[in-house]
Amino acid sequence: MGRYIIRRVLLGAATLLLVTFVLHLLTTFAIQLNGSPALAFFGDRIPTDAQLAAVEERYGLDDPCYDQTGNPCLGPYVERLGAYAQGDFGTNLRGREVTDIVATAAPNTLKLFAIVTVTWFVLGMGLGSAAARWRGRSADHGIRMTSVLIDAFPIFVLLLVYRYVFAVPLSDWARSTFGDDSMVALWFRPSFDADHPWATVLVPGILLGLAGSAAFIRLVRASQLESYAGEHVRTARSRGLAERHVVLHHVVRNSSVPVVTAVGLTFTEALAGAVITEGMMNIYGMGGVLWEAVRGNDVALVVGIVTILAIVTVVVMLVVDIAYAALDPRIRYA
Amino acid sequence: MRRRAATAAAAATVTTLLLASCGGGGGNEEGDGEGSGGESATVRLALAQDVETLLPMDSNVSDNISVLDVVYDGLVRYDPETTEPYNYVAESIESEDNTVWTIKIKPDLTFQNGEPVDAEAFARAWNYAAYGPNAMANNYFFERIAGYDEMQGETDDEGNVVEEPAAKELSGLKVVDPQTLEVTLTGPFAGFATMLGYTGFFPVAQECLDDVEACAVKPIGNGPFQVEEWEQGIGLTATRWDEYPLEEAPTYGTIEWTEYAGEENWPDFQAGNLDFAVPPPAELASAAADPDLQERFVEGPGAALTYMAFPLYQDGPWSDVEFRKAISMAIDRQGIVDALLPGERVPADSWVVPDGVPGGEAGTCEWCEFDPDAAKAALEKAGGWPEGETLTIHLGQDETEEALFKAIGDSIQQVLGIPYELDPTPDYFDRRAAREFTGAFRANWFPDYPLNENYLAPVYASGDPKKGNTEFGYYGKEFEAAIAAGDEAATLEEAVTKYQEAEAALAQDFPTVPVVFSVNSYYYSENMSNVVLDPFSGEPKLRLLEVSDAM
Repeated sequence: MGRYIIRRVLLGAATLLLVTFVLHLLTTFAIQLNGSPALAFFGDRIPTDAQLAAVEERYGLDDPCYDQTGNPCLGPYVERLGAYAQGDFGTNLRGREVTDIVATAAPNTLKLFAIVTVTWFVLGMGLGSAAARWRGRSADHGIRMTSVLIDAFPIFVLLLVYRYVFAVPLSDWARSTFGDDSMVALWFRPSFDADHPWATVLVPGILLGLAGSAAFIRLVRASQLESYAGEHVRTARSRGLAERHVVLHHVVRNSSVPVVTAVGLTFTEALAGAVITEGMMNIYGMGGVLWEAVRGNDVALVVGIVTILAIVTVVVMLVVDIAYAALDPRIRYA
Repeated sequence: MRRRAATAAAAATVTTLLLASCGGGGGNEEGDGEGSGGESATVRLALAQDVETLLPMDSNVSDNISVLDVVYDGLVRYDPETTEPYNYVAESIESEDNTVWTIKIKPDLTFQNGEPVDAEAFARAWNYAAYGPNAMANNYFFERIAGYDEMQGETDDEGNVVEEPAAKELSGLKVVDPQTLEVTLTGPFAGFATMLGYTGFFPVAQECLDDVEACAVKPIGNGPFQVEEWEQGIGLTATRWDEYPLEEAPTYGTIEWTEYAGEENWPDFQAGNLDFAVPPPAELASAAADPDLQERFVEGPGAALTYMAFPLYQDGPWSDVEFRKAISMAIDRQGIVDALLPGERVPADSWVVPDGVPGGEAGTCEWCEFDPDAAKAALEKAGGWPEGETLTIHLGQDETEEALFKAIGDSIQQVLGIPYELDPTPDYFDRRAAREFTGAFRANWFPDYPLNENYLAPVYASGDPKKGNTEFGYYGKEFEAAIAAGDEAATLEEAVTKYQEAEAALAQDFPTVPVVFSVNSYYYSENMSNVVLDPFSGEPKLRLLEVSDAM
């Protein structure tokens, strides 16, 4: 197990290096091809050379290599890596620490993800197990139909309909029924409120979880069906074990291996959904910040945040790999 | 920065509303007793999330300008109706020759931390902003003050700094005594006093310069409100400063700004969590059809001009003024605005926004009326469009603007038979500065201070008859003379008249084609009254606003 973990950690570190390098190349070329982001600072005005140079220095783009198309700008890359290694993730264009931004934004995204994950698990394990248990019956058909229906509604449609059709009347109703500051009124606030983060992130989290749950439901169902047909289940049953015991220990537990993998994989995918959810519900989170940073050509912020996200992703994958190995001994010896 | 919309019917309501509110006597202190929420009342506003600083020297977007307008006081403030400047922190601003200006500051004013607001407070802010390496957004406002050039670094041909600036202070600033500041400009400029109400000219405390980073997040102002807390990215709260000595202070106690990443705050307004909002395009029609909402709608002229420019620095059909006239008369401005952006833009027939700033007049552009026959005749006079060529229209990447210019291109093609193509480019500013555009291009101007001169000199004057101005290579002898005459005029009124002559000269040379002006509008909650929009930022004038008992 020790060697397995070391191998995984080294692989993770190599991945991080590669990610940051590719990112660095992409942003460098973007600057070289699109012209200096510092120009946008001046809007409709044409700055003098001295004014432009001063802003480029402030933006950390004063290295001459940014003016030479095709130059990979290795100098700034090494400098940045060195700073990252010391925990200095730099500042955004206006001088705010990237770590400060992440420290404000990340907790909100994590709250969102926590609710999303719980929603996935409850819906995926609950409905998936039910569908597998009563395969071919009306419950199974109903659940499979539902999962198709969920797939047909992308997250932005769900949120748009919720915000513009349901949120305002629901919020009005809750306020008049339960009072302005009641928990129920907060649940239906049309957008995030930093003073009540859990209450206002609940509905968007459930919606985002719902939108991504279809794949889970089907995954759990398929994986449990395989288990039901498995020889070990037949053996367990033939030994006269109680059906409850068989389902919990031999079906659900065995089918959880692919589900754990999927949670890890979907974790990164959920970030894409988070960009939309955070944007629409005005949650100050990682997705929204990243989106704005890309739009604003804020290179230092984009690279800083993606690097932090990459670290998180690599760590999550690592944890998933280890959990995987713990659940299935065959993996660590492979 | 903001996009607005409304219907023509709504506009009528608003005009009445505006008149009613202004007619009620501009006094903001007089709050009618009953209903006026007093210090417990709160105004809840939306703020764009990209506000990254509240340092006056570095604040140049409508959102931080709007916040700082209640946190700081400038030497002058602007009349909400006419936008004409009047002295506020300044007791007097005088000049004999428009070059050396003497500014007297009212006595006994302090910052919120107790430091005096004196000549030194202004000098230190202006020196900090003018010092090139500080890279402040409002650096260029100080170009007119003597000694500015010495404070900028020297650059080589590639734009890299080769030499640090020689001076750290503007030689044109002299603190005569604590209440007197003497400013020497590089040349005469009659509009200097008008500039002084802009955010970039606010004073700062010494404590602010000692820790600029802290001050950018928690300003030490001299205005009626102080920033309590700014949780960057989330929200900002300002409360009344009880010791505020001057008269223009709102009657309510708190302003809460919630930051939004986009413009998606309409449902929050509908749910009663915000006091001001603008509906997204999809909700415009239903908002306009709601009689209750229509009673709480305000609209005013915006200050931004969108126009079409030509690469006059290179030969082409556009070198002939008749061709430019033909293009202008071939654009059905009203039809395009009605179809695409009703209530969000108005057709432009002048280079300076009419009624928006002193000297602004409608109809200075003789050839801005849609007239297909005259357009065809003018094109013929110009020798027609070269066979087989396509007119490229360069512009930045922006959905709304692309749709607008596609409609303009269609209009030109339909009337004149000139095939066109749009070139939406991500490096618009870069290419424009490098004079790389080879066809017509979209341009936009948002003024920095309310004076007709600001629509003219910064855009068209260069003093370089050979190369013309950087953007499009225009040079007009008569135009430059009129601007210079305005700069030297004895009074602001005379200057405004001279600048109007400059606009007339421009109208004859016709280097660019005015297309549309922006429009500001807002819906507001039941608690708000006396809602007036600032023509500049487009935001509600917070000092005039009256708030009845909150919620």
